[in-house]
Amino acid sequence: MDPAMGNPMVPMTAQIPAPVAQPIPLPVLTRDSYNSQSLGRSLNANVKQARVLMVGAGGIGCELLKNLVLTGFGEVHVVDLDTIDLSNLNRQFLFRHEHIKKSKALVAKEAAQKFNPAVKIVAHHANIKDAQFNIEWFSSFRIVFNALDNLEARRHVNKMCLAADVPLIESGTTGFNGQVQVIKKGVTACYDCAPKETPKSFPVCTIRSTPSQPIHCIVWGKSYLLNEIFGASEDESAFDHTVDGDNAQEIEELKRESAALRKIRNSVGTEEFAQMLFEKVFKTDIERLRSMEDMWKTRKPPEPLNYKELLDKAKSLDKDKVLKDAQKVWSLEENLVVFNDSLERLSKRVLENKSAGEESIITFDKDDEDTLDFVAASANIRSAVFGIDRKSKFDIKQMAGNIIPAIATTNAIVAGLCVLEAFKVLKGHYEQAKEVFLTPFANARMLASDKSREPNPDCPVCGVYQTRAYVDLEKATLNDLVEHLIKTNLGYGEKDFAISNEVGILYDPDETDNLEKKLSELGIKSDSFLTITDEDDEEPFVNVVVAIQEAKEPLGDKPVKGILDPEDVKIPLKPKKQSQPEPVATPTAATNGASISNGQNGGVINLDGDEPMTTPAKSLKRGHPEDAEGPSVKKIKANDKAADDDIVFIEDSAGAIVIDDD
Amino acid sequence: MTEIVMDQTPPILQGPSDKERKYDRQLRLWAASGQAALESANILLVNSGAGTVGVETLKNLILPGIGRFVIHDNALVDEADLGVNFFLDDSCYGKPRAQCLASLLGELNPEVDGDWSPKTKNDSLGSLLKQSPLFTAIMYTYPINHVELETLEQYSKEHKTPLIAIHSTGFYSYFTIRLPGTFPIVDTHPDETATTDLRLLSPWPELVEFANTMTKDIDSLDNFEHGHLPYVAILLHYLDKWKATHNGTYPSTYKEKTEFRQLVRDAARTDNPEGGEENFDEAAAAVLKTVAPFSLPSGLKEVFEYEHKDPIQERSTFWIIADAVKAFYTKHGSLPLPGNVPDMKAQSKVYVQLQNIYKAKARKDAAEVLQTARAIAGTGREVDPAEVDLFCKNAAFVKLINVEGGGDTAPLGSKERLQQVLRQEMANDQVAEMTLQPMSLFPIYLALRGLAHCGNASSDKTQIVEAVTSLLSDNLSSEEYGDLNEKLGNVAEDLARAEYGELHNISALTGGMVAQEMIKIITKQYIPIDNTCVFDGIRSRTQVFHV
Repeated sequence: MDPAMGNPMVPMTAQIPAPVAQPIPLPVLTRDSYNSQSLGRSLNANVKQARVLMVGAGGIGCELLKNLVLTGFGEVHVVDLDTIDLSNLNRQFLFRHEHIKKSKALVAKEAAQKFNPAVKIVAHHANIKDAQFNIEWFSSFRIVFNALDNLEARRHVNKMCLAADVPLIESGTTGFNGQVQVIKKGVTACYDCAPKETPKSFPVCTIRSTPSQPIHCIVWGKSYLLNEIFGASEDESAFDHTVDGDNAQEIEELKRESAALRKIRNSVGTEEFAQMLFEKVFKTDIERLRSMEDMWKTRKPPEPLNYKELLDKAKSLDKDKVLKDAQKVWSLEENLVVFNDSLERLSKRVLENKSAGEESIITFDKDDEDTLDFVAASANIRSAVFGIDRKSKFDIKQMAGNIIPAIATTNAIVAGLCVLEAFKVLKGHYEQAKEVFLTPFANARMLASDKSREPNPDCPVCGVYQTRAYVDLEKATLNDLVEHLIKTNLGYGEKDFAISNEVGILYDPDETDNLEKKLSELGIKSDSFLTITDEDDEEPFVNVVVAIQEAKEPLGDKPVKGILDPEDVKIPLKPKKQSQPEPVATPTAATNGASISNGQNGGVINLDGDEPMTTPAKSLKRGHPEDAEGPSVKKIKANDKAADDDIVFIEDSAGAIVIDDD
Repeated sequence: MTEIVMDQTPPILQGPSDKERKYDRQLRLWAASGQAALESANILLVNSGAGTVGVETLKNLILPGIGRFVIHDNALVDEADLGVNFFLDDSCYGKPRAQCLASLLGELNPEVDGDWSPKTKNDSLGSLLKQSPLFTAIMYTYPINHVELETLEQYSKEHKTPLIAIHSTGFYSYFTIRLPGTFPIVDTHPDETATTDLRLLSPWPELVEFANTMTKDIDSLDNFEHGHLPYVAILLHYLDKWKATHNGTYPSTYKEKTEFRQLVRDAARTDNPEGGEENFDEAAAAVLKTVAPFSLPSGLKEVFEYEHKDPIQERSTFWIIADAVKAFYTKHGSLPLPGNVPDMKAQSKVYVQLQNIYKAKARKDAAEVLQTARAIAGTGREVDPAEVDLFCKNAAFVKLINVEGGGDTAPLGSKERLQQVLRQEMANDQVAEMTLQPMSLFPIYLALRGLAHCGNASSDKTQIVEAVTSLLSDNLSSEEYGDLNEKLGNVAEDLARAEYGELHNISALTGGMVAQEMIKIITKQYIPIDNTCVFDGIRSRTQVFHV
């Protein structure tokens, strides 16, 4: 795929952003001399004074931190929630074997600090979505670098940077591909200006009753079986079994089946456990399914398995030998050996945790061999039941773990490009900012750069009017917000409008129950975002996003106060055309090898911190979860059963099933 | 020269599974075979100048696990090194740079052996090369002195060692890969969708029989069976029908193909509950791509027509298998079948049957190629069946790199070649504005070449232009080279501003690019750059030249 095709190369007529200052010959070379000479004195001084934030200390992050330090950036803050894993060491060069399980942010800081003692590095082992990292904090940085590994965090930082009006340099890699993009509010396209691919999901009945591909069985093993036996049981409440005329009865049966499975959970660690579980899911449940004759009119019916018979056949197998060969497709008997063995290992962990008085919840992690073995074996046994091809553990790891290939070289290139874009940002030369793609398979070139895209006027994130309001969270009600901010300060007057947050609609002309509630009761805190949608048909305002800020000093008689005076509030009208933006062509995941996606972010997201940041959406109708139009979309969907068919399973990062709530 | 630099005892990884886990994310790019090639690689870095770009490249090779590296570097660590080179810290000041770098880089991956040179006054690059196990590839950084460069070129010629030159100065860099002769790549990793080869226009008897059996009563099949006919059978069936009404010819023009596609579409049943059939949709969608007569891919054509100049190379297993495949092609008018079948709607049992038909044919074809290859005198008998299988599977995508052009193309590395490329680039620049193309990066390459042997001392604009002129042995007349002088001058000014030093960020980025290409060469997977890549850090662009 050639990312440049949609955006033909622009002529390179722009002025060279070369340093303007004349070199000063220095008698002795110092640490700083090359930087000072090449960057020019003014840029070099700019770099030295810059306080920057780097979100993510993984693949790109390690390289980027090194580059920032040696380029002489004055103060670098690093935020990463993750700890170091063995599979990071092939590229995240600031980490060593002895650092495994330690904080990426802290170790990266220690490793990088000693190479340039003049740079101040501040490490935060924390989630960037934590309340401490509020808009005010974001606005204290000159530039923010995203070196992230997931869509959700990228969206969050994008939103915070837009709210704080801080330039963001976004980057990502997958295998040999990568890209870098400069995001500046009102000047260049933001992260959400192009729709992103949404998570791949499967109908619940396909996973639970009528699988036809290996991936269906893998999702079953990972998201259903492992989770029911070892995962967090309260996730069950999140199950939403969308019902229509055809599947109502089956959904009921499936609920009963899950409940029965959870009862078996209590027997974890007993000798009979493996047999109980096996017979439940590969015999009893299958027999029930098989009895549903209607279901198998056009499909091959599943074959229940006999545990004892299979165990007899598997007796002669050498467990260690089987486990060693991850590349081989295991036979049914070999899968049973792995099933039993991994079950024993997982059960042992549960018992150990319990006896230590700890919570014993195990969630899927592709690098946790016990869970991977269990999922691989369960999926393969289920495949055998349904006459589906089995897969090797190596392949299942990729499919279940949503693994994106990652190597040092690509990260090095992308991190270098990030710093080059940062120079342009520091000089305020946004017109020279580029969107750079690393496409090593394009003919005879490695890097292709395009002029930054312009903001999409219909973008639900940056195509809105953003403002802030100070609120006395102790006192303010939703009505205070309506009266003192929206109607008066923002100038909505007698317009019809709706207020919503990421959960749903809080207020609209027909939904007034919340008006007397305090904002705190509605879950609104400092740094919550509220979206105001103008519901007038004639000349409506664009959506307005209000960032709530807790008032630090008394606000006087009114508990809500807009940050601007009413005469300074200038909300633009919605653009006339309501067409959806075209997805932007970008190099994406899954162009490189057979990565099948069922994980948290639809094949784009690698848990290790280096994957593409942009993926064109396949379908626009399932846009952004935080889409400003979200609530109304949901309303529509509730009445549209046909659309529900393909949206049931969505997985969160822990691999648990969260079912979307339409 | 056998001492291994290692300051601490590294934790030894437990068993193969730990290693697999550590390298998991890259194994998905180049598989166990690529990893094995990396792990047996012995790489020499001859480091000079500011020395960062070489080290950054080496870092990106040590992390994925090359077998061994040696750093040859005559410099002692000075203050400027500390500012630009991440792998040197204050404690290194005044020590041999090679020693410090080998030690700190070695820590990156305990499974990689590292060594350094020179250790004594008597050690030279020449003595290092003599005493070391054979190097898999050698890279050197500019500026380098003439003597050392000649020593390396001599070694490369003698041992057929790939030689990689890297130059990073200020915001600019380039690297050149000099391969020992023609470099064939079998495992080019083509886009998976491009590899489908169904042979619909030349089906073999087993496939014909399969399709006939599936479709003989096509109209009386029940809806389930009809909706689960694999699209291969559907297309073969309707191609037969088409032939019957078109004088025995297949659809060949675009118009005929779209007519044929309509024929297939119209054959789908719409009176079923779904109101259509997915397998017929798949069949219609596959028409334009799969209903096409065979034509020899250009990469393989180049292989078939290659004229050997080197008798040793001619006897390599690649060329023996290539000869055998050529014989196969001459005999059958087609290539050995790759044998993979794309996913399609079908009953599992039928799909497996179809897969087996393709696999059996692929095995038969590969066996024929193997037999032919083994019959070739000399090394033919040693040909490995696995290598034949890989070749047959990838035959359509086999690629030659570093081919010396015939006819009027000047030899690679020659002055004439430089002149040819330069004239072409300058001519392109004349029309660049009209065609919306960016300006050539060739002047950057030339200017850096002009600095190839100068230290950071006293070069200036005129000197660089002079050096380029002598490199080209030609006057840079404006008739032929347009405003090259001016362009060179601009680059030279930028270089002078950087006082001919390295910027860490540019060198780190360049190191990423060079290492990526070296991995392709070491693993013989993917297609490496052929042969020079220039990076412009001011415009964030690269351009590749064949010089």
